[in-house]
Amino acid sequence: MRKLFICLFFLFLLASCRDEYELPLRETDVSLLVVEGTLNAGQGMTTITLSRTVKVNDAATIKPVLRAALTVEGKNGGNYALNETGNGQYTLAQLPLTFGEEYRLRIRTADNKEYLSDYIVARQTPAIDAVTWKIENEKLIIYANSHDASNNTRYYKWDFDETWEIRSYYTAFYRWLSGTTIVPTISAYNSRCWKYAKSNTINVGSTVQLQSDVVSEAPVQFIPFGSEKLGVRYSILLKQQTLTREAYEYFNLMKKNTESIGSIFDPQPSELKGNIKCISNPDEGVLGFLTASSFTEKRIFITAQEANNWRFSQYCPMEKVLNEPDSIRIWVPGYLPFNLDNFNGVEYYAMAPASCVDCTKRGGDLNMPSYW
Amino acid sequence: MRNWFLLFLFSFLASAGQAQTPVLISGRFVHLPGVRFFQQIEAKTPYFFYYDRSQLDSVFVNLTVNQQPLTDILRQAFTGTDLQFAVDAQNRVFITRKTSLIPSLPKDFFKPSAASPKTDNTQAFVTNKINSQTRKAIATDTKIYEVGLKTNTFKEGNVVVRGYVRQAKSGEPVINASVFVDSLDRNVITDQDGYYTLNLSAGRHRLHVQSLGMKDKLYNVDVYNDGTLNVELEEHVALLKEVVVSAQKVANVNRVQLGIERLTIEAIKKVPTVFGEADILRAVLTLPGVKTVGEASTGLNVRGGSADQNLVLMNGATVYNPAHFFGMFSAFNPEIVKDVELYKSSIPAKFGGRLSSVLDIGLREGNKKAITGSAGIGVVTSRFNVEGPLVKDKTSFILAGRSTYANWLLKLLPESYENSKASFYDANVIINHRINATNDLSFTGYSSNDRFNLASDTTYGYRNLNFNLRWKHHFTNQLLASFSVGSDRYEYDVHSTKNKVNAYTLAFDINQLNLRSDFSYVVNSNHTLEFGMNAIRYNLRPGSLQSRGKESLVQPNIIPAEQALESALYLSDRYTITSKFSLSGGIRYSFFHYLGGKTINYYAPGVPKDEATVVERRTYKAGEVINTYHGAEYRFSARYAFSQSFSIKAGFNSQRQYIHMLSNTAAIAPTDIWKLSDPNIRPQQGNQVSIGFYKNLKANTIETSVEFYYKKIKDYLDYKPGAELVLNHHIETDVINTKGKAYGAELMLKKTSGKLNGWISYTYSRILLQIDDPSTAFPVNGGKWYPANYDKPHDVTAVGNFKINHRFSISMNMTYSTGRPITLPIGRFYYAGSQRVLYADRNSYRIPDYFRTDFSMNIDGNHKVNQRTHNSWTIGVYNLTGRRNPYSVYYISENGLVKGYKLSIFGSAIPFVNFNIKF
Repeated sequence: MRKLFICLFFLFLLASCRDEYELPLRETDVSLLVVEGTLNAGQGMTTITLSRTVKVNDAATIKPVLRAALTVEGKNGGNYALNETGNGQYTLAQLPLTFGEEYRLRIRTADNKEYLSDYIVARQTPAIDAVTWKIENEKLIIYANSHDASNNTRYYKWDFDETWEIRSYYTAFYRWLSGTTIVPTISAYNSRCWKYAKSNTINVGSTVQLQSDVVSEAPVQFIPFGSEKLGVRYSILLKQQTLTREAYEYFNLMKKNTESIGSIFDPQPSELKGNIKCISNPDEGVLGFLTASSFTEKRIFITAQEANNWRFSQYCPMEKVLNEPDSIRIWVPGYLPFNLDNFNGVEYYAMAPASCVDCTKRGGDLNMPSYW
Repeated sequence: MRNWFLLFLFSFLASAGQAQTPVLISGRFVHLPGVRFFQQIEAKTPYFFYYDRSQLDSVFVNLTVNQQPLTDILRQAFTGTDLQFAVDAQNRVFITRKTSLIPSLPKDFFKPSAASPKTDNTQAFVTNKINSQTRKAIATDTKIYEVGLKTNTFKEGNVVVRGYVRQAKSGEPVINASVFVDSLDRNVITDQDGYYTLNLSAGRHRLHVQSLGMKDKLYNVDVYNDGTLNVELEEHVALLKEVVVSAQKVANVNRVQLGIERLTIEAIKKVPTVFGEADILRAVLTLPGVKTVGEASTGLNVRGGSADQNLVLMNGATVYNPAHFFGMFSAFNPEIVKDVELYKSSIPAKFGGRLSSVLDIGLREGNKKAITGSAGIGVVTSRFNVEGPLVKDKTSFILAGRSTYANWLLKLLPESYENSKASFYDANVIINHRINATNDLSFTGYSSNDRFNLASDTTYGYRNLNFNLRWKHHFTNQLLASFSVGSDRYEYDVHSTKNKVNAYTLAFDINQLNLRSDFSYVVNSNHTLEFGMNAIRYNLRPGSLQSRGKESLVQPNIIPAEQALESALYLSDRYTITSKFSLSGGIRYSFFHYLGGKTINYYAPGVPKDEATVVERRTYKAGEVINTYHGAEYRFSARYAFSQSFSIKAGFNSQRQYIHMLSNTAAIAPTDIWKLSDPNIRPQQGNQVSIGFYKNLKANTIETSVEFYYKKIKDYLDYKPGAELVLNHHIETDVINTKGKAYGAELMLKKTSGKLNGWISYTYSRILLQIDDPSTAFPVNGGKWYPANYDKPHDVTAVGNFKINHRFSISMNMTYSTGRPITLPIGRFYYAGSQRVLYADRNSYRIPDYFRTDFSMNIDGNHKVNQRTHNSWTIGVYNLTGRRNPYSVYYISENGLVKGYKLSIFGSAIPFVNFNIKF
């Protein structure tokens, strides 16, 4: 009896009871239009991405909105249609926008709903003064530095493209052709690749608190120790744009809302209200905040040596495989050969896990980028 | 049949003249019981009736008279009965049966003369031999007490009678005993120390002294001058059949204030609780208008107020965390609690500093006559208290303690809980000393301590420590004063030492020093003034993170201390205009000085407060006033009694609050901190209007009431999304000023006596918030009203106790409420290179409704008075139906999918047993 008692008591106290809970979802709520993009007021392509929200437990990553018609309208005239390029992307190679003029975006979706953004002023973005970096607390931090002598910019947003070189742990002079056939190669086979990534966090900054509009060391990217990004050489192309106060607050809120919430003790989230409305149905929410500005860019390179001899380690055990088809069959294609050697006259292939031999198996691209 | 009062229409057209000219009376009396009939006449004429109640119980008066003398009226009234009357020269009316009294002696009584012939109108003297036995029994009924220096005639004007009501056996004061004056149709209630003050005209009065569980006492009092009348009440032991003890019976109808709930410890002990331990806060939760976020939550939400808007006082000491063990038990030892009073609407002017309510917990005084005590053993806690005189009849003490022994139980748990520890204790010391008839001294000391770690390497702990010294002094019969000084402390710490490099201690504390002086001045029978001054000196350490151990590399992070002085002056008046209409009005003027040394950030106006918008940082020296808030608070209520058992009341109440609890988690967090108002955080303000209807039925044994309220809250603090509250050096950037409105209706049906007693309450209440800070760019829910976390519109609670016999009773309570609101994700989207979760409007969903039934049996040992010890058992089941009431709903990512879970604290029926012994 006493035992039962104790169990009862503590079951509730400590383990409590956890039951699965069906989220009370309504279909109408979960399919909002998401608009992402900036009207490029400077030189270069404008890309607007349209997607829809999905159910929380939906398997899809992104649900693109296809066959929509997008038009940029100038307050003082001018209509520019964007072209659909697939995957929910709509682009125009060059928008002829004038700084200081107001523009808006009209979207007509395939289901004949019409969306319209508020008028937004096309703003000019100051140049990036420098992209700097430091190693601190077991990570490498990359900073943006900029200034606006006219003190007009105040709110900044940064996105970036990262490129880094990877090298295979073992340089291969043999390659596996098919079946159990292994052939020698003239030069090192798939041992040098490049990988690419885009920013996946929201990076915004403001200089309102400062007397002059100077961005000094605004952190934009953190690379933890041991990351492969700095294993050989790393490059970041930082893109800067200017925001209005409203846009800054929107992105800041989205960041807080979605990058720091998850468990029961976390603070309560709140909803987002952007500058795009559904004019066919005013009650329908639209996610995203359309901005219009030019972009400025700056690229820097960091080598592993510069980064205090950055260490990237990979576990690459080597197997000695007898040079005969039955032995080879066991290891290929999970393992790849990189050398042919012999031991006391017995010929064997030195093999290692594919990712240690072929850099494309690590998601790398063999083509060296033009700027490398 | 007792609806006579509804038909009763009564008006006097002629008022009394001098005694010589016969008073003429007009009025209509419909089915009026004899006693009431006499009382009505006494109230309006100089006549005073003497009668034996038992002879009148079947007499009802049906009469309409117009300008008739008393003798005529009585003659008409008594036709058909054997009642007789006689009126003497002092307007005394003697009612007898069968034979009438002769109120005056024959004219020649002192001049015996044989010659004098027997006059025709000689009246026969009736001499009744009263034997000594009868004389004793009727002693209090007929004995006349004298107050003040006796004079030949009663003086004109008003005098003040003061005194205390105490228990005859233990000498403990009887709080809230009613002293009812027949002739004034007026009733005063004894205060916390058993004192009462009556203001009445000199002359003869009849006082009824009543209190729950005590024998009623009746005093015939001749009041000549200001003086004292002390009363000792004997404990009422019901011997045979149930006796209706109707003390306090009309309090809810009669008092001017509204929104006051009172629970005695006897009532609290009948409410079944989780582990069988009488629990003050759980009992308070069954009252209308009081809610909680969840089962294991510390906070009370009173009339739409947040948990920090309640002032919890224990004998005058502020208790910041009134709960043990995540809110599972309340931190008050039931053995020493006398009663609990909850002010939801008419908060007396002497209290301030919180918006929603005052929970005033009164502790007992120790037995002044003999050493006694009690002990109890429950499943997880045990308690002990001992009390007695230090100096007989002068000084008493109580020592009480409670402790848990859950640790050994934890060892029996599965391995994953191996390292869990949980312990708490609380201890009280109370000393009361009567210096003399006009000076009382009392000391209260309290300490509570909690420490737990639940299957993790992090230990949480928190402590309350309170001291309070009070001196009560009667300057005159009319002027009573109470001075107190006290210190209150609350602290918590969280520490972890598992990883030596990361070992840390996170600590927080509040210290406050209180000074109070309260005066009560009875001006005359119509006015009672209360005035005084309170001051609180705060010293908060809002958070510090320190390394723990030599190897720890934790960087210390200390938020500078905060200091402030909160002070207030108040004045209130209870004004009885007529016996039916009374008013109570008060004003409290509070000041708040935020003091240095501290560095304050000033932000650009009109833009969101942000690290980016700081325009100035100013450093203040220690003791320097950084800024001041001050303002008046109004407390007003009025009552109109349509009859003795029906009244309507209305009230207006305004409050200011300068200290705020910051907690933005939906669930309990042992790391909630308190923050003082400062230049960036304005004080919260609240205004409440309420109206209530009170009706007692069945000889005041059933109380019914309906109260409606509407409340507005200004500068309530809500939090920005992603707000960081712990160790935040600029917390003002993460909070948003919010306004709130709360409204509701509370229905209560209460049966106070009989074999079956208890109450049923229904509450409809809403609390809605709106961000009205213009500098907030993206207000919560687009600036629309949204429900607060604890908005639970419907709530039905029934608490019942059925006494099968004197040794066995069963209790049951049932509670149902709407589930509380939560914010759920309604979708997912891809933006800026990442999956992001989309939330619906804040608090737009609700967790499933809450329903729970508890049951307990109370078995008492025998009631033999002279036994050394008395014992009792409580056996019961908490959550009888085993319903898994969700406490929270949350969502986590599992295998790339977001899944929702609901968590129940008590997911099935929990039996309990408790053993108590009294000596």
